[in-house]
Amino acid sequence: MEQILATTLRSAAPLVLVATAGVFAFRAGIFHLGLEGLMITGAFTTVAVGEATGSVELGILAAIGVCMALSAVYWWVIGPLGANVIIAGLGLTSIGLGGTAFALGAIFDVRGSIFTDVVLPRPVRGITSGPGVIIAEQSILVWLTPLIVLAAWVVLRRSRFGLRLAAVGEYPFAARTAGVNPSIMRLQALLISGALCALGGAELSVGALHNFTENMTNGRGFIAFVAVIFGVWHPIGAALAGLFFGFADAVGIQSQINITERVPREFVLMIPFVLTIFAVWLGGLWRRRSLEAEAGYAELREPDY
Amino acid sequence: MTGGLQRLGSTIVLVGVSFLLTALVLWISGYGVGDVFSGTVQGAITATGAATSTVRWAIPLLLIGLGVVIGFRAGFFNIGGQGQFYMGACAALVVSLGWRGGPATLVILGATAAAVLAGSAWSLLPGYLRVRFATDEVLTTLMMNFIGALVLQYLTAGPMRNPSGTGQTAASERIPEAFRITDSSGVSATVLLLVGAVIVLVWLLLDRTRFGLTMTLVGRNPTMARWQGIDVSRVGLVTFGLSGALAGLAGAVELHGPGARLVTGFSPEVGFTAVVVALVGLLSVWGTVVAAIFFGGLQSAILFLPIVTDLPPPALVLLHGMVAFLVTVKFRSARRRRAPLAPEALAD
Repeated sequence: MEQILATTLRSAAPLVLVATAGVFAFRAGIFHLGLEGLMITGAFTTVAVGEATGSVELGILAAIGVCMALSAVYWWVIGPLGANVIIAGLGLTSIGLGGTAFALGAIFDVRGSIFTDVVLPRPVRGITSGPGVIIAEQSILVWLTPLIVLAAWVVLRRSRFGLRLAAVGEYPFAARTAGVNPSIMRLQALLISGALCALGGAELSVGALHNFTENMTNGRGFIAFVAVIFGVWHPIGAALAGLFFGFADAVGIQSQINITERVPREFVLMIPFVLTIFAVWLGGLWRRRSLEAEAGYAELREPDY
Repeated sequence: MTGGLQRLGSTIVLVGVSFLLTALVLWISGYGVGDVFSGTVQGAITATGAATSTVRWAIPLLLIGLGVVIGFRAGFFNIGGQGQFYMGACAALVVSLGWRGGPATLVILGATAAAVLAGSAWSLLPGYLRVRFATDEVLTTLMMNFIGALVLQYLTAGPMRNPSGTGQTAASERIPEAFRITDSSGVSATVLLLVGAVIVLVWLLLDRTRFGLTMTLVGRNPTMARWQGIDVSRVGLVTFGLSGALAGLAGAVELHGPGARLVTGFSPEVGFTAVVVALVGLLSVWGTVVAAIFFGGLQSAILFLPIVTDLPPPALVLLHGMVAFLVTVKFRSARRRRAPLAPEALAD
């Protein structure tokens, strides 16, 4: 049981970080399907720059920089250039997945996977039994994740920026009338979102694991996106959803070891996706409440065909 | 008409820009862009068997892409092609392996029917939720993709697994040779006839029937369509069903054609590439045919390129990403946003 909880924290931390990123994008009214691409870019850049400089801090800073730059380009394409948010977001994901796999070959001359020594510190170590196992061997980012989520909540609910952002997401026309520039607000939200994706990716490659592998995010960016929906676009809700999906993942890993005969791992792994469909369906109430929000991103996502 | 020409022109420019950007990345990474280009031409057209291989890769893109066209025309953002394709392939596999001793023609027809049904069922669930409860179809079709991929993984690693398989990735048993409609090249008269018939039927449906016009109306303005007495829910269900049916059919063709067995996570990009194909094809039937052959050629080339320049397959994923990232950019909208600057420009 302790082992499952420890694995839960380890699986959940990247999900929660990227889900928080998704919350910022959602609050700005952007249906951000590029999270997966930003996440893997963050994972790769941390390893690449970390290996080059020998400093994990520099690696993470570089990852944040690259992901913010990509987010700015994404903003430029979907905002001023009027591209479709969903298609461009999926494109961003492919650019991230393809680009990192390509760069892995071009820079390190390897296919598949590289190991790295430049990793995040783990504050608590050496506990091998009892409840302490849960917190042992967790990277510093796992410890910081709750603080980041709380900070996101404060920013979104209590700051001028957060309230303006909510206005932009829910009704950009009214926000514009009130003197807020929705386009600039979206850019800021996407930049924050990019930075958080970089952290999520970094936790995956140099926190939980010590390597970068092609396609290592394996849909986690989309699961994080699902956590945002599941958590009703609220940072705490999204974090709880991320934690739950991390738990499902941990159970899936355990079931592979212990009870493969009875519950195939694939069915455990389906849980987040099936639940999401149910949640979105049953959330008729949520749906009606968010109809105004719908109008918000309608301005961005309306397909022009 | 000028609108159509303008869109054609801007799409060509945007696809060109995506290619230039990708070429730039390759050039920075030290690949000879000239070599890559000549390798692509060889791998897609001139090398032995290259043209056949182009057609082989164009077929799934075309079938799924036509499904995307149908959905997008009616204004439904069905991005679940990947899952529907997998479910079609899985259904065909279950029928083919479950009825191994049956007469080949019957089994193939049965498996294809099962694939079409499974694909459309996989699409109709999100479709029903969309028309009945206004549940966002982008989200649900995306989720169905992941579930479909896991169903495929379950089948190939579990009940249908080839026990003698030694590879790292799980694969199913092979279907009997008699049940195949092509050799491993993936192209035969049967397949070409089938695909040709599908193209013509979809074209007739979309561009030459009342229903096709109704779909376009619903896509342009559902509110107006409803006020004119069109049953928007019915149109929605039919389009979702047809999209899924085409993707499911693509799955059956893949199994009974070049594949002969299913491998966990095969063709992982095909659903997304089909969306790119449909968009580059300007959501028209013939445009999609051209775009599918074009992207099929690239797919064929990327498998050939390692022989010439050692270019790894992820480069193609990167290219698809670039195209998707830019292809929906609207030049017109950009101009409109700049319009308020005009008075200042005049004042100068």
